[in-house]
Amino acid sequence: MRVPVIIILTIVTAALIGPLLIEWHYDAIDWNAVRAAPLSPHHLMGTDSVGRDLFARTLVGTRITLGIATAAALVALTIGVAWGAVAGWCGGRIDEAMMRIVDALYALPFMFVVILLMVTFGRSIVLVFVGIGAVEWLTMARVVRGQMLVLKDRPFVIAAEAAGATPFAIIIRHMLPNIAGVALAYLLLTIPQVVMIESFLSFLGLGVQEPMTSLGILLKDGADDMDIAPHALILPGAILVMLLVCLTLAGERLRDRMAA
Amino acid sequence: MLELVRRRLMTALPTLAAIVILSFVLMRIAPGGPFDGERAIDPQTRAALMAAYGLDRPLPEQIGLYLLRLAHGDFGPSLVYRDFTVTDLIARGLPISMTLGGCALVLALVLGTGGGVIAASRAGRTIDHALMLIATILTAVPSFVTGPLLALVFALWAGWLPVSGWGDGDPSHMILPVIALALPATGAIAKLTRAGLATALAQDNVRSARARGLRTTTILIRHALRPALIPVASYLGPAAAGLLTGAVVIETIFALPGLGRYFVQGALNRDYPLVLGVVTLYAALIILFNLLADLAYGWLDPRARG
Repeated sequence: MRVPVIIILTIVTAALIGPLLIEWHYDAIDWNAVRAAPLSPHHLMGTDSVGRDLFARTLVGTRITLGIATAAALVALTIGVAWGAVAGWCGGRIDEAMMRIVDALYALPFMFVVILLMVTFGRSIVLVFVGIGAVEWLTMARVVRGQMLVLKDRPFVIAAEAAGATPFAIIIRHMLPNIAGVALAYLLLTIPQVVMIESFLSFLGLGVQEPMTSLGILLKDGADDMDIAPHALILPGAILVMLLVCLTLAGERLRDRMAA
Repeated sequence: MLELVRRRLMTALPTLAAIVILSFVLMRIAPGGPFDGERAIDPQTRAALMAAYGLDRPLPEQIGLYLLRLAHGDFGPSLVYRDFTVTDLIARGLPISMTLGGCALVLALVLGTGGGVIAASRAGRTIDHALMLIATILTAVPSFVTGPLLALVFALWAGWLPVSGWGDGDPSHMILPVIALALPATGAIAKLTRAGLATALAQDNVRSARARGLRTTTILIRHALRPALIPVASYLGPAAAGLLTGAVVIETIFALPGLGRYFVQGALNRDYPLVLGVVTLYAALIILFNLLADLAYGWLDPRARG
């Protein structure tokens, strides 16, 4: 548990503070050093095909990717918790119908719907995370609903009901705090999913747009240039892989601990 | 069994129609159209083009007409590749995508179940932990990262395999794309097999088999593997969806002329009929795979046959 968390914190800190410490702006062009090799003076990781500092771009790209991922995961969390809580609380036919909808949505090719959304509404960053969040809430809804069903028969909930608390107050004050741990675990597991989708979209040119950057765009640029500048592919690739693996490991550990 | 197939097909058609209508409406409210080029077209020509493709009719009528044609297996003309119908383009791209996805699925099933069995038979040992860590890493790393990295190492540096392209179906061109596409599914299947086996090995029939003195390998394969594969079977639906979406990016990376590339090109060019056709086909394939997964489920677990 400790190693993944330390790696995640290191990457997040670097992405937040790093760009402030580097002499280059992510879209500043150094005309004297186009396609500079790594470890050249002034450019730790070299520059890309138009002379932008790769280290600065990677740090900013990581920041954008993480920002979108967090925002999208929060959108997914909100929809998922609301949906699951209502279904679990109401039970019966309403529950049945709401969960059927979730089952049906699970079976759909969602990536294509997101791509359609991107094409339809232009490629703004806001839409990237709202769109992704809107399709990634299904697992969260299932988990929250399951927890609600367990909690509903607990004495403290029945007591609150007998004391005349409104369903809304019971859900918000008494039940959701008990679900928080599990929800956090699944939130952690949603983030790598979202990072993956964002990079996927940006890689295809449908997500974040130049000159803004993200890990997906950097990977795409790196893949285009890999025969002459492999480090431009390896650096963002390594960061993305470390992020995804560590987030997944940490999320799974937390989930197993919460379930036990 | 037949009853299940019938019931599933009954719900499949409305689902498919709903997806088509949703995609249709989404594509139409998009700003910009297929005839927006570098140069503005003369309004009369534009109106004539719109009329020729039926784009000037009211939206519900267009949807109705499209569904009607779809029921006859006609996906309509492509708006951008003017000399081809969407059916032509699908007929060109689908075999390539199916080969890619099929090979990747088989590879993932073989490697995944194999890895899962090895890990479960050495439960708690170093090899178990190592395999499961590898499985987590494989699941977490998307194919658009492994694809370029594999191409870099095995094609550019080692020079063993071609970097990209289709090479008129030469098998060596398929090796790297298939591996890159299969890896995430391999990790997921290995984890599911390992977890399923752990549950199955704790069952009474396995304890009896052990008490009768059967060899561990025999117990694993004859008694435990079948129930352990049930979660793997139910993963086939999501796996198919994952492979299809993965194929979109893999085909772009390795420049394979499959369906996924037509989809991305179509989306960027606003080639409505092409995008709709591909989405419809993908949705149908995913629904089909979910059905196959259910059938496999019933075959593996007699209690689930209803």
